[in-house]
Amino acid sequence: MRLHVAQCLSSVMLVTGVVCGVSLMPPATRAGESAMAGDAGAVSKGDHVAFIADAQSIAANRAATVNLHFRVEPGFHINSHTPKSDMLIPTKLVVAMIAGDPEVTAVDFPVGTPFAFAFEPKQKLDVYQGDVVLMAHVKAATGQHSLKAELRYQACDQAACYPPKTLAVEQPFTAK
Amino acid sequence: MRNAVVGGLIVLVVALLVWSGVHNLHARRAEEARARDQQMTIAVDKKGATATATAGGETVADLRGKPAGVFTLTSSTGKRVSLNDYKGKPVLLNFWATWCTPCKVEMPWFEDFQKKYAAQGLQVVGINEDDDAQSAEVKDQIKKTLERTGVDYTILMSDKSVGDAYGGLDVLPATFFIDRSGKIVAQAIGLASKDEAEQNVQKIVVGS
Repeated sequence: MRLHVAQCLSSVMLVTGVVCGVSLMPPATRAGESAMAGDAGAVSKGDHVAFIADAQSIAANRAATVNLHFRVEPGFHINSHTPKSDMLIPTKLVVAMIAGDPEVTAVDFPVGTPFAFAFEPKQKLDVYQGDVVLMAHVKAATGQHSLKAELRYQACDQAACYPPKTLAVEQPFTAK
Repeated sequence: MRNAVVGGLIVLVVALLVWSGVHNLHARRAEEARARDQQMTIAVDKKGATATATAGGETVADLRGKPAGVFTLTSSTGKRVSLNDYKGKPVLLNFWATWCTPCKVEMPWFEDFQKKYAAQGLQVVGINEDDDAQSAEVKDQIKKTLERTGVDYTILMSDKSVGDAYGGLDVLPATFFIDRSGKIVAQAIGLASKDEAEQNVQKIVVGS
């Protein structure tokens, strides 16, 4: 299965993010809309970002949305989907399009928040901190499904930056 | 009646100007307070960086007192360069990447040090840690970064294993101050102040 996913990632890769900054609702507010799993939100050492899978239901056979919840470790930030410099690595979601899985047509990224390093106050960055929710637009037949993707991001704290990372995402949901 | 309307408008405009001024002042003070908070955080990080205990919650190897790992890498101009080429000279070795904003803050400082301590033989060497550094896009970003930061010192392209010889770097910037005998005298993981960096340079240029 893993191989199958890897093959699909490389051959039928859908780089999402064509729709960005659509949702203006603060990510933290949206993150609180559904119950989080038990120990969800724990960030693996060195990753600085965690994916939080939660139970979600959508209407079957029509356009719907599935939320993808991420949590950035306190004291850290990641670049938004639209950082204000071509040198910075934007946060992106790569969705695995697997035959028989739900169709993902687009992903909305939240707007970032302005951020400046204390040592470079004039350079305003656009970042995500705390809870971040991406909204995937899907269309799925009745039944249990799973949205599989990879979040690509690059984190920094107040004085240092960490190499770009890839975080595996698997969000189960039910289409009724 | 007309005078009253004009007078009212003037009062309204003045009130708006005053409100706008007060609002801007509050916003500026809030921004300054935020910057001060960040500065305090940096001071803590800086201390940790020089003590080399942790950076970003991750343990970083303390290489002070140990011989610097020898490497041979290709420069941004295509020349093969070894650390052994600088035998007998003090070396400031800095690992950086184009996506690392703190790195780009200190690179102009290192250029200054290269000039200021040239008579004492200081050699500043940067090692670029970008992935896919051979792609046209990343090459262009490296070129732009060097232009924007005014860097003229030697830049080498990492082979991804050189970092292992320096503690398995997973945090940038990372800077090692190597004395004339090839020993690491000081190291800074994360951005420290220019003064602190210069103090470390002065430790390695002694004995010229």
